[in-house]
Amino acid sequence: MTHAVVFDRVAKRYESHVAVATLSLAIPTGTIYGILGPNGAGKTTSIRMLMNIIAPDEGRITVLGRDSTESGITDRIGYLPEERGLYRRMRVRAVLRFLAELKGVSAREADQRIDDWLLRLGLRTPERDWGTAKVEELSRGMQQKVQFIGTLLHDPDLVILDEPFSGLDPINAQALKDAMVELRARGKTVIFSTHMMDNAERMCDAVCIIARGRKVLDGTVSSLRASAGQARQVALAFADPIGLDENAAAVLADRTLISRCEVHSHSVDVELAHGADAQELLRALVHAGAAVSRFELVQPSLHQIFLDTVGATGVEPGMSGHG
Amino acid sequence: MADRKLGIIVRREYLERVRTKWFVIVTAFGPLFFLAIIMLPSVLARRSNASAEVTNVRILDATATDVGRRIAARLAGPDADTTRVEVVAVAPADLPAVREAAVTAVNDRRLQGVMVVDSSTFAGERTLYIGRNSGASADVELLTTALREGVLAYRLEAAGLDAPAARDIAQRRYRIDAQRPTAPGRERGDAMVNLLFGASVTMLLYVSIILYGVAVLRGVQEEKQTRVAEVVLSSVPANTLLAGKVLGVGAVGLTQIAIWVAAAPLLFRFRAPLLGALGVDNATSLPLPSIGVGAALTLVAFFILGYLLYSSLFAAVGAMVASEHEAQQAAQPIIMVLVAAMIFLQAVIAAPSGLTAKIVSWIPFTAPVIMPLRMSLTSVPPIELALVLLGMAITCWLCIRVAARIYRTGLLMYGKRPSLRELARWARRT
Repeated sequence: MTHAVVFDRVAKRYESHVAVATLSLAIPTGTIYGILGPNGAGKTTSIRMLMNIIAPDEGRITVLGRDSTESGITDRIGYLPEERGLYRRMRVRAVLRFLAELKGVSAREADQRIDDWLLRLGLRTPERDWGTAKVEELSRGMQQKVQFIGTLLHDPDLVILDEPFSGLDPINAQALKDAMVELRARGKTVIFSTHMMDNAERMCDAVCIIARGRKVLDGTVSSLRASAGQARQVALAFADPIGLDENAAAVLADRTLISRCEVHSHSVDVELAHGADAQELLRALVHAGAAVSRFELVQPSLHQIFLDTVGATGVEPGMSGHG
Repeated sequence: MADRKLGIIVRREYLERVRTKWFVIVTAFGPLFFLAIIMLPSVLARRSNASAEVTNVRILDATATDVGRRIAARLAGPDADTTRVEVVAVAPADLPAVREAAVTAVNDRRLQGVMVVDSSTFAGERTLYIGRNSGASADVELLTTALREGVLAYRLEAAGLDAPAARDIAQRRYRIDAQRPTAPGRERGDAMVNLLFGASVTMLLYVSIILYGVAVLRGVQEEKQTRVAEVVLSSVPANTLLAGKVLGVGAVGLTQIAIWVAAAPLLFRFRAPLLGALGVDNATSLPLPSIGVGAALTLVAFFILGYLLYSSLFAAVGAMVASEHEAQQAAQPIIMVLVAAMIFLQAVIAAPSGLTAKIVSWIPFTAPVIMPLRMSLTSVPPIELALVLLGMAITCWLCIRVAARIYRTGLLMYGKRPSLRELARWARRT
């Protein structure tokens, strides 16, 4: 397996804190790779070092088989920073051409691709060509599209998206997801950072979880979930919508079977107690006379894995498992 | 590779600015603006010469001669009939009382002022003038001239000269045609033309450096505020982005100056009315200020180094603050240095070879505006010019190095404005 990006014991320290401490990573080519972690974990710093915007204090980064500090390597990377914007007073086409030319695309080639992209993302219709408008005349959603075009215009082999979904409306978010999947289908590598575990779980082939500047876990999503151990979560539902007769309630209250129980309006999520067996729980429920309509062993989610490995202490305000 | 990207950045900075209405307007009206700044004071001064009330005076003549009448005639000028100059012959003993009465008339606004001509006038000691316009320098100068000519003519006649000869001598003006030596084979340098030229060049450099320095500041600030900075930094190193901006904006400045210089012959064609308004007689006989290729290149060098020096500082300021409002505040100290240079303008014009002028023209931060002025007013040895330019180049190099580091770090810092200690830390970071 070739690797699009390799971090080899990379560290970055500032006067007051350690941003990244000895990070080693290997990101397989042709995958969608998630860098996960709470705010302030060191995701943006790692990506900026990868883009050669800031220099690591230690270690080295290999990108597309070459050293990340080599000139010209960034021409093969498309980067959408977390803090992103455009020249507001420039016209859309001029901005895009400028960004493409900086990546080594000729003006003529760039114009052709800009036309295609504007058409594809609905910014050029028979009624209106937004390419001739100034950036500041565009709605926020349109500006996001233009920003995204600017990232992909030079057809990069590696696409890096830092918190790409933050601030995106649902329609653009879906368009972005579609584009990421399409890029992977064409053999490109997509790296994106997020603190939203649900997105990562659905989209990524592999992930790396970092917290406080250190790697906590990495691997494919399926291997991570498998290695997180046996499924300890059971999703339950009962035929009676009220859900719990006294007998079932007594079973769910048994701390030798169940360590934690969350009752929702139509379902119950339980976590098996240490040493308890799921089959044992099912038998107990049936024996108690509860009308079980759903009994499912649930693989731990990335969110759960994250909480288990990093612990609640690694989670800062703003961290969210949903998004 | 890096050069190609630098070229793309420079081109964007240049075209985005040259294509604006702002550029067209400033380029078209800039020269008029400069002329107005230079000419307005003298035009206003000229207006204030003509104080109609200056002749509404009473001359108290206690000398028992016709000196008072002579002064009145000089003051009134050729149209003596229409004036209100009033001469009263007074016996020395009555003088205090008569003077009090006249002062009362002045206070009652029936008179503009009262002049007392007595024995101390002849002794050359002093001549008392009490008037509501005693603070107006133009009026006092006119009164002084009339007094001097009146007394002089009287004394010449008293010494035996006939009246026309005495008047001729008394009214003759003596003026110095101040010129400076120039290299053989060139036109002589006319002092007035040199002063005008020097002041114009200084003004041009001062305004250009501020205008384009602030343009760099705003450009950097815009990139930081709109967050486009990191997008661009993913394609080019920070130093290239900074260099591209400074060079692009500087090229706009040079374009503008080139247009103005090219338009100068047009202004020269209309030099007679323009310089006439400044009180220069025979303006049509004035040559263009004689500057050689060497001097012209030196001036361009001063602009380029001055611009690089200040724009790099402005760029650092633009990168370290979070908003345009903060940028204006943070830029104040830099602008103050340039304004301080302009405060020394008068001193330099008065004594271009004096110690003050020399020191101010040597300091790298004031040299770009003061040295060109000194150059046009006096001859500055080439070795001195070379040393000052060298000093500026070294200062420039240091400033750009420090500014580039602050720029690189500050551009991606979105929090609060850094403290001086943090800035020092950024500046040390390699």
